[in-house]
Amino acid sequence: MHSMTKKIVSVGLIAALCSGMTLGMTGCGQSDAAKGKTVVTLLQYKQEAVDIFDEIMADFNATHDDIYLEIESPSDAMTILKTRLIREEAPDIIGFGGDVNYSNFVDAGILMDLSESGVLEKVNPAYLDILESLEYVPTDGTYAMPYAANAAGMLYNKDMFAEHGWEIPTNWNEFTALCDQIQSEGIQPLYSGYKDTWTCLAPWNAIAIELSPSDVCFQVSDGETTFAKEYSEVADKMQELLKYAEDGPFAYGYNDACLAFADGQSAMFAIGSYAVPQILSSNPDMNIGSFVMPAADSEEKLVLNSGIDLQFAISESCENKDAALEVLRYLAEEENVQNYITAQNSVSCLLGDYETSPVLENMMPYIESGRMADFQDHHYPSEMAVDAMIQTFLIEGDKEAFLNKFDTSWVRYNRDVIKKVQDYTAAHGGE
Amino acid sequence: MNMKSRQRTFMIITILILALFFVFNTLPLIKGVIFSFTNYKGYGAFDFVGLRNYADLFTDSRVGHSYLFTFKFAILATILINVISLILALALNAKIRFKSALRGMYFIPNILGALVIGYIFNYIFTYIIPALFHSESILANARWAWIAVVIVCVWQSVAMTTIIYISGLQTVPSDVYEAGALDGATGWKQFRHLTLPLILPFVTTNMVLSLKNSLMVFDQIVALTQGGPAQSTESISFLIYNNGLSGGQFGFQSANAVLFFIVIVVFSTFQMKFLGGKEEQL
Amino acid sequence: MNQTKRVKERFNNPVTVLLIIGLFTIIFPLYMTVVIALKQPSEMTNTLSGILSLPKHPSFSNFVEAIRVTHFWSSIGNSLIITVATVVLCVILHSLLGYVIGRNMSNSKFYKSAYFYVVSGMFVPFAVLMMPLIKQTSQMHISNVFGVIVLYVVFYMPMNTMLYAGYLRNIPLALEEAATVDGATSWQTYWKVIFPIMKPMHATVAILTALAVWNDVMTPLVIMNGSGMTTLPVAQMTFQTQFGTNYNLAFASYLLALLPMLIFYIIMQKQIMSGVVNGAVK
Repeated sequence: MHSMTKKIVSVGLIAALCSGMTLGMTGCGQSDAAKGKTVVTLLQYKQEAVDIFDEIMADFNATHDDIYLEIESPSDAMTILKTRLIREEAPDIIGFGGDVNYSNFVDAGILMDLSESGVLEKVNPAYLDILESLEYVPTDGTYAMPYAANAAGMLYNKDMFAEHGWEIPTNWNEFTALCDQIQSEGIQPLYSGYKDTWTCLAPWNAIAIELSPSDVCFQVSDGETTFAKEYSEVADKMQELLKYAEDGPFAYGYNDACLAFADGQSAMFAIGSYAVPQILSSNPDMNIGSFVMPAADSEEKLVLNSGIDLQFAISESCENKDAALEVLRYLAEEENVQNYITAQNSVSCLLGDYETSPVLENMMPYIESGRMADFQDHHYPSEMAVDAMIQTFLIEGDKEAFLNKFDTSWVRYNRDVIKKVQDYTAAHGGE
Repeated sequence: MNMKSRQRTFMIITILILALFFVFNTLPLIKGVIFSFTNYKGYGAFDFVGLRNYADLFTDSRVGHSYLFTFKFAILATILINVISLILALALNAKIRFKSALRGMYFIPNILGALVIGYIFNYIFTYIIPALFHSESILANARWAWIAVVIVCVWQSVAMTTIIYISGLQTVPSDVYEAGALDGATGWKQFRHLTLPLILPFVTTNMVLSLKNSLMVFDQIVALTQGGPAQSTESISFLIYNNGLSGGQFGFQSANAVLFFIVIVVFSTFQMKFLGGKEEQL
Repeated sequence: MNQTKRVKERFNNPVTVLLIIGLFTIIFPLYMTVVIALKQPSEMTNTLSGILSLPKHPSFSNFVEAIRVTHFWSSIGNSLIITVATVVLCVILHSLLGYVIGRNMSNSKFYKSAYFYVVSGMFVPFAVLMMPLIKQTSQMHISNVFGVIVLYVVFYMPMNTMLYAGYLRNIPLALEEAATVDGATSWQTYWKVIFPIMKPMHATVAILTALAVWNDVMTPLVIMNGSGMTTLPVAQMTFQTQFGTNYNLAFASYLLALLPMLIFYIIMQKQIMSGVVNGAVK
């Protein structure tokens, strides 16, 4: 008994000592390769792209004598990034999505203005517009380099469409007619997977951009309009989609929906290109196509829902901004962009002759001509939980209550932002 | 003299350990309380907003709902966990075959990670139970989904509570049973009049621990319902984590956490007073 | 150790049978976990028979892949270092604190308030401590394994102190008094008499603390990131990305992580059962 206790105690103390020693070693994370070079750290949030980034890091370091690039692609990178900001150890370059985080970071003044740096010259102007619209109030600068985009709308089972001779719909009437047709042939038109609240946002976004102004959030904050007015038709169409969805859509999650769609249990799935890898993982031979959500009443009014999935920003506190810019220029080289978008099934935000995944074939003309708008939920504060509100609406079916709540919650969760917007319009004389 | 030095040694030890506790628990808590008066996002500049966050707490229907859900959930879960664990502990402590193997198996739910539990129970509730009973999935029903969370939480928590009860049962000297058996105390009578009074300190401990764990329910909700359907299973911790860390509401959710802390302390003090009173009576 | 005279050499078969029947609630989810861990993503379906069926080509390739992706040996090594160090420190420090407080709280205001001070720390939601702790550990240059261990020792102090103090209520004072009369110092009394008597509670505390530490994701994720070291649960997060989860790899990995804890539990529960109290009170 006694010797047992002693043994346990000594093992524990040794373990504690060992861990104490690692304290001293943590400073030497960088290898000898970094010696005498300017070290640039990059933290990016696409954990699934870790292999590509490892490759980029190796190639970059092999070709540069003066700069050592260190890329981290951790899980839950946004939490980690926030811990770095709290510690005041911001990475030199941040790779993240074009969403409300960007708005907050710009607002907090932690990103460097890239507009004079030249790295934005190759960027598709449509994506720069999307980026600008993410700022709470317009600023003079541009604080990130859009890199890759995703696109959302409707995914469809190509083989099934070909077999039954179904055509891709180009407006809402054609779409509902198609769904009725599919249903009459005994096939499930849509799978929704609304148990996960965020999947409710996929069709919501795609419909909302066609039926409401793209800067609706700014307009509401400025008091020019209300969501009750702008989102009324969007809500109707969301309810209409339910008719074509699986029975009890709130019982099945995103994962169930991916599996069911991959298994041919539905003809379509209203989701973005980002779901393609998960679907292919359970059915590698599936032939997936996509089209723009046909929510408007005519083809001319259709707009592609596309947002910035990955962009790079340099932190204001970075000490070697020139070296960091060199890294951005390297990332923007055609070969690297192509490798990334091929591996991730995504769309390049940089102009050039890129080969895009065949899944996105029907969406490419929209991208090339800049006929697209950002995900509206990129403007919703995440703590407002619009996704859960949409789910509640679809379950309970009370449109008026939902839209009223949307307006009141917007005011409640955006108090500081609304004040900024109104100060801005007051100062700029209403544009 | 001896008594004095004894007291001093005790005092020094206590103060040293309490100092450690202060630095890594109380100090950050104080900082959190300060943030609860700001509109801090977790980074960047922030302003003091006075009592705005606290005023908001009492007018936010989402926060109100989360308190209702959390308390009804925690009370039911605490009772179920303790009843089941006590029965299980008595059974596993009896003279049974395959004792080690059985105890090992009953411990497993405690080690399985949230992802595994979420996936498997989602599957059971979504596909297996509806197929067996021709019903809709309980997880899609805004009225009853919370029961599913109770079931999973109880399933997972019973193991830990059982361990504490088993160790409590070890402090009951066997001569107590022997003397009781002579007086004809067997079965329920033996449990009610001999075992239960002797393990009451463990009942108190377990009630407090399981109530605290149930009030702070988070993992099971993330894994099972994500707060849905129709926001019916959003617990207080779920709101604090989701909106305070991923969202930009750190200041507001700090206020929520401070309020929550006060509520639990009050609640648990009552519970301990009540159970403690029982202990002394017996 | 014979519990009562009645059931002396006889096994309680009905209870054994009931326990085995109850085991179904654990075997079934475990079966699903194992089956999924042996399948390939392309074998996953959403039909009842599909998910319950055995894999067509059972292979351990998921386990091999899971070991590679999570850098299994180094991350499990870190997890072990953290868990063992935390458990040993907790058993030493918390038992001492539990003893000092538990023995004195009935006649000293200081210890009584110390008890409530520490125990109330249990109810502080981690979310409110997190941001201040991230900053604080960074300023103290312990954003690493060492800092995580220190935090754990503080986090589990309330629960463990409560457990030890509760356990001591059932241990007669006579033992220490006898030792003090024999001229032993309080320090000697503690290590020679009290510490060994608390063995079942040490085992209980060790299991509960080890389990909580072993499965914890949040603390190492936010405190240790950037230190170049990672724990197993943090490494396992790689299976879940925003838009896709590889359940097959994840489940294989979770099964691998489950084993060390199960073995540890089986060893420790023998210690819980050793029933020192019965033998010690003569």
